[in-house]
Amino acid sequence: MPTRIEIAADPVRDRCVLITDHLSPRRLPGPPGVVRVALVAAGALLLAGDQVRIEVVVSGPIRLEIVETAGTVAYAMRGSSARWDVAIELSGGASLSWYGEPFVVSADASVTRSTAVHLEPGCTAEIRESLVLGRYGEVGGTLHTQTRAWVGADLLLAEDLDLSPANRTGWAILGQARCLDTVTALGHRLPEAPHTLQLEGCGSIARRLVDQQHESDLGRVSEAAERTPITH
Amino acid sequence: MLADGRLPTGGHTQSAGLEPAVRAGLGADGKQPADVGAYARDRLRTVTRTEAAVAVLARHYANAQAITTEADKPSPAGTSGTEPFVMASRFVQLESAWAARTPSRALRTASRRQGRAYLRLAERVWPDVLQHLPRDSEIARPLVIGAIGAVTGLSPEQVARLVAYDDAQTVIAASLKLLPGDPAVAVTWLAALHDDIERLVNDVAPLTDIDKIPAAGAPLIDQFAEQHAIERMRLFHA
Repeated sequence: MPTRIEIAADPVRDRCVLITDHLSPRRLPGPPGVVRVALVAAGALLLAGDQVRIEVVVSGPIRLEIVETAGTVAYAMRGSSARWDVAIELSGGASLSWYGEPFVVSADASVTRSTAVHLEPGCTAEIRESLVLGRYGEVGGTLHTQTRAWVGADLLLAEDLDLSPANRTGWAILGQARCLDTVTALGHRLPEAPHTLQLEGCGSIARRLVDQQHESDLGRVSEAAERTPITH
Repeated sequence: MLADGRLPTGGHTQSAGLEPAVRAGLGADGKQPADVGAYARDRLRTVTRTEAAVAVLARHYANAQAITTEADKPSPAGTSGTEPFVMASRFVQLESAWAARTPSRALRTASRRQGRAYLRLAERVWPDVLQHLPRDSEIARPLVIGAIGAVTGLSPEQVARLVAYDDAQTVIAASLKLLPGDPAVAVTWLAALHDDIERLVNDVAPLTDIDKIPAAGAPLIDQFAEQHAIERMRLFHA
């Protein structure tokens, strides 16, 4: 059974269904119109053979903020592998903010991460993925990511990254960077900035390729975006 | 002929992203052969693979369109002068699929500018292309190449190889201007990419499903492209 966060806006009392699997979602206090949920690991993560699946469903004019209490480390898997799949569905004017903590791929780990986001027109999502290849002083293992986002029936973004040790160090992919930190805005745009990619459809990608995760300033992108929302 | 750099489509203005990569340090400390070859190889695994696949699909659609019913055809190519040309919906969807896989606006703009140059040439040399694409418009380059491939009777393999070879050759030729060296040595780098090019051709030539277009991204290429677009002093357009 997947970890699931299901929120439905309701004029009287918002409904919130939280299902625990590898991760345990816990509701935190939040202001009106905002549901804040913490994702806490329910056991040792991320080990060979683990198949983490997280489903997020939000309907109605409400904002869901997912916070992670700690980063995740994918440990050495001795030839085996693990998956981390996220499926997000937003409808009825919902918005999602999910600023993930670092996801660290240790030496000899092998992980596939997929993120699929379905938005109804009028919904917005802002998601941070902070991928770190290797713990300190270590050459990280293999990571493959797959990202797909749709607004209505239209494909907004499709990106697969092969971050295996043999393929990621070139001048096209990551170079010498150990950390790929990305904030993806869907259904709205991040403010124009030199390194912010503006998608063809309504969405943006802000990215930092850095050696140390804390060198990235992307934790602050959302605050800037909230000051100047752009929805075209 | 399409793979000839002397074709007047502005190929000499392109470095396939090599110029900003060199500016960032590629080929510094005398490692040109390894770096330039690896860079071209990375492109063949990522952005060029997507471009070749889109060209293969454009060829497929253009060939299919030539034998479908009137209802599926786009409006006539502006011959009456009153009706604006409307691309068939499959071409519109294909360009959207390409755009969703090309997150950098600078790269989309560069591709569309090149597409227009190819389209202008095609209008004179292979005017049947205008049955599929609107005259003198900014259409992503792989769609134009695919449509030219269809009207000139190229196979999907030839279309894929054309895109792959052209990209690799663009990198290698630009390297002679950016990191001057012996041209014969540069040709050996190109020859060494043969297997990578053929691997790409084998992978993308059979494609007919728009959802199966590869989406392998290259974060540094995107970042360099955005940076290059606002650079004041540059040798190549992109």
